[in-house]
Amino acid sequence: MRKFGIALALAASVAASGCVQSRQYADVQFTPPSGDYRLLVMRPDVTVNSLTTGGMSEPRADWTEQARGNIITALRAEQADRGGKVLVLARRNELPNVTADEIADLERLHYAVGNSIALHKYSGAALPTKRGKGIEYTLGEDAVSLGRRTGYDYALFLYAQDNIASTGRTALQVLGVAGCFIGFCAPSGGSNQFAYASLVDLRSGEVVWFNVLQTGSQLPGVKFGDIRTPQGAAQMVERLVGRMKPGREVREAAEKR
Amino acid sequence: MCNHCLEISRRSMLAGGGALAASLATGVAQARVRPADMVPLIGPGFQPTDTDEKGLWQLMDRAEEEISGSNLLIKDPELVSYLQGIIGRVGGPAAKDMRIYLAHIPDFNAMMFPSGFAVIFSGLLLRMRNEAQLAGVVAHESGHFLRRHMIRSWRDTRRKSDIFAIGAMAAGVAGAGAGVYLGDYVQLAQLGTILSLFAYSRAMEAEADAMGARLIEEAGYPPIEMANVWDQLIGEEEASARYRRKRRRRGTLFDTHPSPTSRLADLRISASEVTVAGKPYDSRRGHYLSKIGSIRQMLLEDQVKMNDPGASQYLLNTLALDGWNGLLRYYEGEVWRLRNRAGDDARAAQSYAVAVAYPDAPAEAWRWHGLSLIKEGRSGEGKAALGRYLQMKPGAPDAPFIRQMAG
Repeated sequence: MRKFGIALALAASVAASGCVQSRQYADVQFTPPSGDYRLLVMRPDVTVNSLTTGGMSEPRADWTEQARGNIITALRAEQADRGGKVLVLARRNELPNVTADEIADLERLHYAVGNSIALHKYSGAALPTKRGKGIEYTLGEDAVSLGRRTGYDYALFLYAQDNIASTGRTALQVLGVAGCFIGFCAPSGGSNQFAYASLVDLRSGEVVWFNVLQTGSQLPGVKFGDIRTPQGAAQMVERLVGRMKPGREVREAAEKR
Repeated sequence: MCNHCLEISRRSMLAGGGALAASLATGVAQARVRPADMVPLIGPGFQPTDTDEKGLWQLMDRAEEEISGSNLLIKDPELVSYLQGIIGRVGGPAAKDMRIYLAHIPDFNAMMFPSGFAVIFSGLLLRMRNEAQLAGVVAHESGHFLRRHMIRSWRDTRRKSDIFAIGAMAAGVAGAGAGVYLGDYVQLAQLGTILSLFAYSRAMEAEADAMGARLIEEAGYPPIEMANVWDQLIGEEEASARYRRKRRRRGTLFDTHPSPTSRLADLRISASEVTVAGKPYDSRRGHYLSKIGSIRQMLLEDQVKMNDPGASQYLLNTLALDGWNGLLRYYEGEVWRLRNRAGDDARAAQSYAVAVAYPDAPAEAWRWHGLSLIKEGRSGEGKAALGRYLQMKPGAPDAPFIRQMAG
C-alpha cells in the first residue's frame, strides 16, 4: 500500500513511450557485491494487476502470488551466480533476535528514504548539494544494528508491479491506433511494468545502490516479459539487479589502472 | 478576442448544462433508504470467491498489517476489547469476523475497509455522549461491510470507466469519420460519469445509515441516538464556523457523503420507523463513560490543542448536558486560556476555580488555579493550590519549578 507513493512519483517521471527504461544510481565508492557475502532480501512487495478497459488497475491475488514466487526464485538464482548467500524474508518475524516491529520500522524508514530518492533523483527535483555525488542516503543506526545482530552484509528492498492489459483494454488500444488512419489518433497505455530495487549496506547503513525499471507501450499487444511466468520474472530480475554498475570513483580508479 | 469569449461561454454553458442534467438525474439529496429493505448481503465467515474481490482483499490484508502495526494506534487492551465487543453487538452476521482499531487522531471519523476491519479515530470517542451513539457509528461502518459496499462501488467505477472509455473512443473515431468534433460531448460525458460515481457513493452512505439504524435497534440501543450524533456534529461545525466568522460548508455535487443535514433528517425518520413501542432501550451511558474514563483527559487535551475554540466550547457544553464535572470545567478554562484574548485570563481563572470544587478535578486544574490566584495577587491561596498540585502529582515534569513558586 505505502509503496504506491514511490511508484506514482517515479511513474510520473518516466515518459510513457514504448520501451524498457532503467536508470541506476550508486554510491561513488560502491562495488557490486561478489564472492562470499550475505544478502538479506526484505519481503518483496509484488503486485500484479489487470488493466481494465477504462484504465483502472485491478489487483489479482492469484497472479500476484504466482509472480512473487517467480521473482523470489529468479532472485535466488541470480544471487547464487554472484556467489552470495541469500535469505528472502517471507514474514517479518523470521529472523532470530529481531522482532517483527523492528523489521516493520526499517521497512517504513526505507519507504521514506526511497521516496526522497525518487523525488530528488528521478522526479527532477535535484538537490544542488547532492549533484555528482551518486547516491548519498542512509538508513542509519537501525540498519547497522540489524546487520550486527544477524550477520548480514546487505539488505535488498524490492518493489515490482505489473499491469496486464485485459482483452477490452487491448481492443481499445487497437481502436485508438486504427483511428490514426482516419484522423483520430488516440493511443492509450497498455501492459506496463514498474519496479525498483534498493541495496543497503548493513555495515554502514547507507543506501549504496538504487535502480528503477519501467516498461510500457502504447502499441497493443506489446509485452516486456510477463512476471507471472518464470522466464518473465527472471528477465525482470536481470534487468533490475543483474546489471549493477560500480560507483563513479571506483570506475575512474579502474580506468586509470 | 470575441471568438475566444464565445468559445468560453459555449463551453461553460455545456458544463453547466451537464451539471444540471446530472443533478436532475442523480439528485444531490439522496432518496432515503428504508431500514426494512436493508438485509445483510453476507453471512458469517464470509470469504471472497470472485477474482476482483480476492485481489482487493489481498491488497487490504497488506493494508491491515501496516495499520495494525502503526504507532498511531491506541493499544490499551481493555479499551480495544470494549470496542471489539461493540462491533460484536452491532455487527449482524459478520459480528465475529470484523476487527476494529483505534487511532490516536483527534478528529470525528471512522472507516471500514473492504476486508472487514474498521478504524475509528480517538476524536470520535470524545464526541460520543453514550455507548448507543458510538454503537450507531460502528453499526454504520458494519453496514458498509454487510452490504458489500466496497466491491460494489469498485465494480460500479470499473463499469462506468469502461463505458466512458469505449464511448469516448467510439465518439472520436465516429466523429473523425464523419468529420465533426465531438470533444465537447465527450467532456460532458466525462463530467456525467464522475458525478454519477459520487452519487453512487452517497447512495451507499444512505444505505449504511439505514442498515445501522436497524442494527442498533436490534442490539437494544435507542435508535434516535444515531440521529443525535449528526445533530451534535452539525452543531459543532456551526459553532466552529461562527467563531471563525465563516459559514458551515454546504453540500455539493462532488460530495462522497450525503450532507449532515439530510442525514440527520433521514436518520430521524428511520429511527422512528425502527423503534418498537414499549420495548426498553438502554443508551448505556454510565458504562461508556467508565470504559473511556482512562483516556478521557487525553481526548480533551487533544481537542483543546486543535486551536478551534468554537468547536471545543460546543463540545464541552454538549458533554456537560449530562452534568458538569471537574475535568470538563478544567478544559473549559483551557479553551479560554489558550485563546488568550482580552479578558480570557479572568474567564479561565473562573473555570479553574469552579473545576477544583469538584472531587474529580485533575491535578492540572489545581496548578492553573494556583497560578491564576497568584496573578490576581492572592498569593497565599495560590501557593496553597500549588501545594495541592504537587501533592497530587509529585513527579510532574515542572514540579521543581512549581515547588519554588509555592515557597
